[in-house]
Amino acid sequence: MAAPRLTRRAVLRLMLIAGIGGGLAFAERRTRPAGLRQFMTWLLRGWRRRVEPPATVALGASLSYDEALLRDALTELWDAAGMPDVAGRRVLVKPNLIEWIEGRSLVTAPEVIGAVIDLLRSRGAAEIVVGEGPGFRRDAGPVVAQSGLADVLARRNVPFVDLNYDDPQPVPVRDGWFPGQRQIWLPRHVVEADLVISVAKLKTHHWAGVTLSLKNLFGVVPGIRYGWPKNMLHVNGITPSILGLKQALPPVVSVIDGIVGMEGDGPLFGTPVPHGVLAVGKDPLAVDVVGARLMGFDPEEIEHLALGIWAGIGQGVHIDMRGGALEALRRRYRRPPK
Amino acid sequence: MRTSTEILLENARAFLLQAQNPDGGWGYRFGSPSATEPTAAVLLALAPDPDAAPATEAARRWLRSAQRPDGGWGLDPEDEESGWMTAWGILGLARWDPHALEVARGVRWLIGLPVLRVEAAELTAEVRRILGIDPSLRGWPWRPGEASWAEPTALTLLAVHAAAAIEAYRDRVEEAVRYLIDRRCQGGGWNFGNPFMLGAYLPPRPHPTAWVLLALKALAPDAIRSEDREALRAEMHRDGGAMALALGQMALTALGAEDEEARERLRALQGPDGSWGQNPYVTALAVLAFRGGWPWLRRG
Repeated sequence: MAAPRLTRRAVLRLMLIAGIGGGLAFAERRTRPAGLRQFMTWLLRGWRRRVEPPATVALGASLSYDEALLRDALTELWDAAGMPDVAGRRVLVKPNLIEWIEGRSLVTAPEVIGAVIDLLRSRGAAEIVVGEGPGFRRDAGPVVAQSGLADVLARRNVPFVDLNYDDPQPVPVRDGWFPGQRQIWLPRHVVEADLVISVAKLKTHHWAGVTLSLKNLFGVVPGIRYGWPKNMLHVNGITPSILGLKQALPPVVSVIDGIVGMEGDGPLFGTPVPHGVLAVGKDPLAVDVVGARLMGFDPEEIEHLALGIWAGIGQGVHIDMRGGALEALRRRYRRPPK
Repeated sequence: MRTSTEILLENARAFLLQAQNPDGGWGYRFGSPSATEPTAAVLLALAPDPDAAPATEAARRWLRSAQRPDGGWGLDPEDEESGWMTAWGILGLARWDPHALEVARGVRWLIGLPVLRVEAAELTAEVRRILGIDPSLRGWPWRPGEASWAEPTALTLLAVHAAAAIEAYRDRVEEAVRYLIDRRCQGGGWNFGNPFMLGAYLPPRPHPTAWVLLALKALAPDAIRSEDREALRAEMHRDGGAMALALGQMALTALGAEDEEARERLRALQGPDGSWGQNPYVTALAVLAFRGGWPWLRRG
């Protein structure tokens, strides 16, 4: 019997298979720790976003913290942005209460939280809770009191929950942003919410570039599980943690308080910027892209926004602006130190 | 006739007994699931009280059952990972028996806990520039494999001290004390970790400052400066919350510098149900503050 002969065609076929195999192995290695499959999911979703309809972001301008004016403005922006129906839903309002240092514009203004609560009530929300888990406060209570939020909540009979202590529940991580972790622990009120409203402050941030409605989600991670600050998020990487939290949470929509923003050494030691703006939208990525532009950043400069756009975390490419004109409201905030 | 402090303590005890869960532990709020930290803190608060013996016996059973097979404790028995609450598990049980097997296993877990440490020379220089710290020193992290932070380091040192195991782990303990001293804020006191970041000095915070001062008082009293004490005093009053006032008062008592104003502010924050904010953990700290401070340290 004749020995099998390796034909030229067979050699070419073997080389092709080896090439594909080698290419896949190379791609798998280059896309670690997410892996090739996850990488392709992000890539394709990001491409798909480019042909999807735009997200709507509504911008209010020339605003102050006058409660009545703010309530009217927020209602108008909420409708213009096509925000979700909240009737009968459990809503968690998540302000930025990172810290309280007298005289610094660090936190979401309590008047903005008050306006959000009034709007939710008027639209028939079944349950409203305001919650935050500061990374640098073992006890959020004093920040709530000193910032004036406690009075705002007491007048409206709305509870505040310190999310650092709120019976953490395991939630599966989604979308590959926490490699090596099957689950992340989140506070009970977050897990049980039908809707989370991230009511952020327009600020620069020395690690993340900007802190807006996505970075504000760090405050939902419970300290009793992860410590103060939530070091796990830094070990995992700030950018993947921001995007991973967005994907692990119930639906999140955004309101950004830029009536007084912060430039320079944010999020704690920056300088206040009277800016008079409020941004509202149901796609947090789109709202944050607008927020970054309001501060004079190109979203591509901000790693978590650039990656969020690339991976299609939201609609960051096509944004339909309502209300104030972005270009007219754009400032150039001083950059945070490197 | 009973003093106002005795009445305050009785009311607090009534709240704590009422807030105990059927499983024997306490949560962070009335009715919330039992967790290691509040259960152990309440155990310390009720320990000297003979009338609370059935409650403390049930709580010790809960703590023992919550210990994980690796010897550590997590947030609660459902937690799949041991972490910083191991220090609390040890403290709760060591109050009765510092040589108990569970205590020794907990200490061994803490001592073997991996900590992120920067050793490469160029990285060390960069971290020094950005954060103003010596990153080669190890304290203890909140969770395995992460960086060291002031509070878990102080709590671990207090747990090893309560377990009478300092001599067995002298080198590791001394490194952690050096870590704490290295992280002191400019002007005294401690922030959560670094004292400096990207050109800005970080302010001290009352909670980590109180824990660090308790740990230093137990292990390296000569390292304490008067400015640390004053930083704590100022920060706990600026914070004004019951947790900060109780912890601050506990640390100041250990340093022989009780703060009468803090005592009165804390007294005023007690609710009609005997609790501080319906929170068993904070109530336990307040009871300890009124009972003379940290159980393992003499006043002054």
